[in-house]
Amino acid sequence: MKRLALFANQGATSSRLVGVLLLTLLTLAITFVLPPVADSQLASGAAISIVVLGLSWLIGWSGQISLGNSGFMAVGAYATGIWAHHHASSPIIFTFVLAMAVGAFSGLIIAIPSTRLRGPYLAGMTLAFSAAIAPLAQNYTSITGGEGGLFFNTLTTPHWFLNLFSGQNATIDANAQWTADLAVVVAGVTFFFMANLFHSHTGRAMRLVRDNDVAAELVGVNLPRTRTLAFVVAAAFAGLGGSLYALINATVTPSTFPLTLSITLLTLMVLGGIGTLSGAVIGGIIYAFSSNLVGHINSLTGINPTSNLGANMQGIIFGILLILTMLFTPRGIAGLGPRFGRLVANRRRVAPLATGE
Amino acid sequence: MSGGPSSEATAELVDVTVRFGGLLALDRISFDVQANEIVGLIGPNGAGKTTAFNVICGFQKPDSGTVRFPALGRTALKPSQLCAAGVARTLQGVGLFVNMSVLENVMAGAQGHVGRGFASSLFGLPAGRRHELALRDHAMVQLERLGIAQFASSLPGSIPYGISKKVSLARALMGNPSLLMLDEPASGLDESELDELAQLIVELRESMSVLLVEHNMDFVMPLVHRLVVLNFGEVIATGAPSTIRTNPDVLAAYLGVDP
Ligand SMILES: Nc1ncnc2c1ncn2[C@@H]1O[C@H](COP(=O)(O)OP(=O)(O)O)[C@@H](O)[C@H]1O
Ligand SMILES: [Mg+2]
Repeated sequence: MKRLALFANQGATSSRLVGVLLLTLLTLAITFVLPPVADSQLASGAAISIVVLGLSWLIGWSGQISLGNSGFMAVGAYATGIWAHHHASSPIIFTFVLAMAVGAFSGLIIAIPSTRLRGPYLAGMTLAFSAAIAPLAQNYTSITGGEGGLFFNTLTTPHWFLNLFSGQNATIDANAQWTADLAVVVAGVTFFFMANLFHSHTGRAMRLVRDNDVAAELVGVNLPRTRTLAFVVAAAFAGLGGSLYALINATVTPSTFPLTLSITLLTLMVLGGIGTLSGAVIGGIIYAFSSNLVGHINSLTGINPTSNLGANMQGIIFGILLILTMLFTPRGIAGLGPRFGRLVANRRRVAPLATGE
Repeated sequence: MSGGPSSEATAELVDVTVRFGGLLALDRISFDVQANEIVGLIGPNGAGKTTAFNVICGFQKPDSGTVRFPALGRTALKPSQLCAAGVARTLQGVGLFVNMSVLENVMAGAQGHVGRGFASSLFGLPAGRRHELALRDHAMVQLERLGIAQFASSLPGSIPYGISKKVSLARALMGNPSLLMLDEPASGLDESELDELAQLIVELRESMSVLLVEHNMDFVMPLVHRLVVLNFGEVIATGAPSTIRTNPDVLAAYLGVDP
């Protein structure tokens, strides 16, 4: 029979925990093999994957669009920087919880008027929010450090971890890897929570609203509340991702989270696959290592990286990848797996979904 | 009858008026649905039937008049409160969730009933999961009852129209409603499906009230206890099908003699 549609609400929490745990451990193992530069890239990729996952939840599950996630990232990052100045020695978990809370709160502020808006109006509203962040940061110099931003060195590698390394570049290696490992663990935890949300009562409420809001209301879904909750969760994820991103780079400035980053996040989400955990992982990986790809292409083609064309190569590559994805695998790279599976299945059975049978 | 206070009525409209600009869509209409009663709401196109449904469901605020649910102990409900209060409605057409399996569509019918909160969802607590499994079993029972269990994992776009209508009915029944509101349930069904549907509605009456909007007179006449006839936003007749059939006002409205 047709079993394509039967994927949601299956699997126990424990099986999701094991799945995420295995992936996290695998990635941690990989960080031991990678050189320090790649570890740093991986760390940024992990931070971005958290934001992409939140965006994927918002767009793929609740059916709302946001061009404001770079703004939520900035809010989380500034909260992190400001907190670091006053409580440099508090456990890092407090920083993360604070960044999520501040992100969630800004999401709430944006969501309350936004839940009355649809499509392009909603996109415009969130766009205005992320555009407003940089001028605000430049203006309130005493809190944000103005144009120069904030610097903080909160991520200190513990001694026991340092001791794992020896040799010439021990400190460099250890610091890069500690950062990557921390980012991977934080990402793992958020992915576990999102996996739970996907398969929950709350997750279904989102999909109901997305598919048919009138029918959703009739089965008891409170539309404004549900849409607001979707925003708050996405903004909390972005706040956390922004915090992690700022910690990795030990700084946040008005230009750390430009508007174009919101577009990049959208692109990564579509490339990876909307509404899936694996899509967010893939998006994070693409982000982490896109500069390597850009370098390769520039050297292959002999384009000068500092030329106009070379400097914009990342955008060009993302654009091309985006077009290819939309043409050939609208469910993103993560959708290739199931598609391949279906292809194999179709050879054994005749077209299960093709007609109105 | 209509208008008077009745503690038995599942739903009751009293002097409800709805205007759309200059158009009087409902003009001081009153009717009720008693417990375990099947009431048919009929009338020509544009008479105000869907508007009356929307008023009951809280989608349309009346300009004057009231909606009450005496048997449920409630007055005016918001759409999202209906499910928990015991009112279920199917939408004209099909109105399914297109990207979700048939089984999930039916599970959604009880969405408004549960008290599992966000924290339970986020942490994947066992109680939430047990609840999901129970919901799944209950939805499966509904599908089996309507004889469409084999479509559980299909997407709505891939099943025949008649099956889709059954799915939306199964979804409405998931919430164990006291009042079931059906907007044109018979449209698009073939003879045997119509018989099945009529049979089912008669069975349902044992445990709930049914209010249905319908164009198909052959379907509605033998089925209902009472008809409410709307024309140009007014109730022009109320009564048993046998008396309505011979009512001159109704005949005029349907034959278009008296505009
Ligand atoms: N939202 C609306 N705005 C303006 N006019 C409406 C609206 N909804 C319905 N109407 C008008 O109100 C009248 C009653 O419509 P409706 O309740 O849909 O009739 P029925 O369901 O009996 O065919 C019609 O003349 C219709 O054009
Ligand atoms: Mg109608």
